[in-house]
Amino acid sequence: MKISLNELQSVCRKAFAGMGFEAGHADDAAAMVAWMQSYGLDGMKALNEGLECVVASAALARPNVIYQDADLAVVDGQHMSVLSSGNLALELAFAKARIRGLAVIKIRHCRQRQLIMGYLSRLADRGMNVTAFWRHSQTPITEQVVGFRASSAVPSIRVFELADTPEDDVPNDGITIVMANHFDLLPKIRSEDEYELLACHDEADLLAARHQALAEGLTVDPEIWQQLRGFAAKTLVEASEQSRSDAGPAE
Amino acid sequence: MTELTNAFEESALPLRSPATVMDLERLGSFSPTRLSFARRLTRMMFEQKWQASCTQFELNASGHGSAVYRLQTPTHRYHVVIFSQYLEGQRRTDRVIAEAWDLTFCLVEGEVDADLMSAMSANVPLQEAGRQHPKLLVISRANKSVRNFEVFVSALASGQQPDIEYVKEAGYLYRTTAVYGNGKFGIADYDRIKGCEDFQQPFSAQMAAVYVLREFSVQQVEHIARARDSVRAVTLKTDTRRYLGIGNSTGLGMAPFLINHPQLISQWVWARERALAVAVSQLPKESDREKIVALCRRAIAYLADTRVEDEPQRVRNGEAQAELMQVMAWLEQVPLDDTLWQQLLKWAQTQLSLETQELLTTLLIELYPQQVDSLNDAMFADENLDLTPDMPLIQLKQILETHFDWAIHANYECEDARYWFWYQSAEKEEPRLGVRGEELGEEKELALAIAPTTQRVYRDLVELLHAQPRALTVDLVIAFPEHMRVIRRIQTMAATVYGEIRANLWHRDMKPMHLLRAKLSFLGAHRFDPRGERWVRVTFFQGAPLLRDYEDAAAPPEVFDDWSFPVAPGAEFTAAVP
Repeated sequence: MKISLNELQSVCRKAFAGMGFEAGHADDAAAMVAWMQSYGLDGMKALNEGLECVVASAALARPNVIYQDADLAVVDGQHMSVLSSGNLALELAFAKARIRGLAVIKIRHCRQRQLIMGYLSRLADRGMNVTAFWRHSQTPITEQVVGFRASSAVPSIRVFELADTPEDDVPNDGITIVMANHFDLLPKIRSEDEYELLACHDEADLLAARHQALAEGLTVDPEIWQQLRGFAAKTLVEASEQSRSDAGPAE
Repeated sequence: MTELTNAFEESALPLRSPATVMDLERLGSFSPTRLSFARRLTRMMFEQKWQASCTQFELNASGHGSAVYRLQTPTHRYHVVIFSQYLEGQRRTDRVIAEAWDLTFCLVEGEVDADLMSAMSANVPLQEAGRQHPKLLVISRANKSVRNFEVFVSALASGQQPDIEYVKEAGYLYRTTAVYGNGKFGIADYDRIKGCEDFQQPFSAQMAAVYVLREFSVQQVEHIARARDSVRAVTLKTDTRRYLGIGNSTGLGMAPFLINHPQLISQWVWARERALAVAVSQLPKESDREKIVALCRRAIAYLADTRVEDEPQRVRNGEAQAELMQVMAWLEQVPLDDTLWQQLLKWAQTQLSLETQELLTTLLIELYPQQVDSLNDAMFADENLDLTPDMPLIQLKQILETHFDWAIHANYECEDARYWFWYQSAEKEEPRLGVRGEELGEEKELALAIAPTTQRVYRDLVELLHAQPRALTVDLVIAFPEHMRVIRRIQTMAATVYGEIRANLWHRDMKPMHLLRAKLSFLGAHRFDPRGERWVRVTFFQGAPLLRDYEDAAAPPEVFDDWSFPVAPGAEFTAAVP
């Protein structure tokens, strides 16, 4: 079915609130899903694949900071969705980068990492160069790198599979983000490495996808949509005679 | 937005303080100005030579069927498509929970082909229950003023003009009950149209759709009158056509907008206040004085013609008429010198009601179109409430103490201060007000009361700062994630002049009607007629030019721009342009 971007964002916001997210975090989580969906990156699918995890993460709005110094932080994602406290972890890194010029943050043990792109977009739009990196799988190793130029809300995205597998058998379920205040960090894969490019999205492709989504509406799975509306309904109060008395004059 | 604000600060024109302007009762006394969106629309249509024409008018003898109107701007083409249907009397209600209306309509971007027409005829009449096409920019619905409708049809069918007294009671044939834009029910997102100069301004597309509906309402009654008696039927006289507007019934659904869009509201209020400051800074000439006296006279006549059911509003209108007489006397007695307007405002602040003070704001702005009209361009905002996580907490504390002192020092503990809570009803997801401790739904309260939330942030901030004197804002949001939304707002709004409505929206004495009126005044609504505390009826476009006026090369510019305070045909109309 087709919906508008505003409908998606509004229903997601209420759905996250219905799951128990604090208001500001529901806003952010909704914006993260809507951002992906509007750029043709199927944020709804990414959300739906870990919906139980999102519901379980709802109350966990505070990131667990394991280590931090002036320009580095390590945060434990506690195997929860990045929608729950990823925003605050990124704001922590943003503050460090603004003060120190460059900052690195590692969010360990987190889920639904694709969805973090929506918040990275906001930080880039606020004038920060941002690059994020994570591994999707170990055998074979597939990696994703996402880069945003400062003041642009649209990234370059590369997903690639390495031909040679280094001796690293520890699954990497974290995400590493580098932020630089004054210089570009756009991803450019070294040509001498052997890899197979699995996905490549440049700014022009993503902008075209967004333009199309705004012109024609966003396509979403009706089942997922209904599920979200069900969570959103938890924020509503059943009508009563008292509430109806506010609903305008009886003719 | 920031640039505009800074431009003001450099210009050193004395703006009224936020404490004065953002007081809820004063906001609830605002009248529309020439910057209001209805006025701006007709001005823009005239200046840009928009063309409007009816391209389809397929109604049966009862006026049921469909009609299509084309709007051609310099760069784009749009269509307003209207579906009129029979509605049983018992189903006709202004309540938002209604499921059928006398007519439904929409504004479409581009051409209307058979497929789109078919999709619209299946869905537009369903309104919220339909899935709307993304080419639609606006959808809306309206119900007849049954009495006016029948009076008009009967009179015209019998070769007579309708008694104008009926229009004084209700200045329209139809009243809308909701006008939806920005992606509602599948229509186009505002993000898509805000790059298009025709409808870049918020609510400009909605105003255009309502404006065209006004034309249809007259054509429809004339059509039905002709069908009733093709020999004797006459058309409506031009001055009566102009005196007809479109009504609107509005309830609490409008209120959260003013809280949820503080940057936009700040720009709206800033443009209005800046226009007042610009007007007051002009050196008054004798012709200006004559012009404002003429406007006072017209406003008095308009108020005398305005019949409202709400007793308190009727009293306020009566007071305003009497006080405008005092203003005229004052203007005739005080010598014309360079500070006349400043003196007038100063006198008004101590002697006149808020209602009349804000009417004077409208009149002063009306005097200087060349100096103020460009402020319309400032009445939109790229809305982003962003965190500044590296802001030292000590600085955030100073911001709170400087810009939010009205919020952080108030008492929210007593019963009256916590009386109301806002919630969203399952019925069409409309906002409602409930009494705390008495009505269900408190646990699902909408976070609209900014003031008490700001106080909680302040208290937690002071505590954290005591423990960590060098802490940053990010430390506060990590310690208190529940404050994220309001801290963003505090940091963002501190950079604006206006924006926060200075009221406790929980308080027992809080009047939601003030919120409605503030927004309606910016849209350009007049004949403000509250129905109880939470509903109001207003009129748009009464006195505005007709679509055919745009085709008339001989029509004087004031037809398109000087139509505030409409008075009934036959009454003396005082042109503002001497």
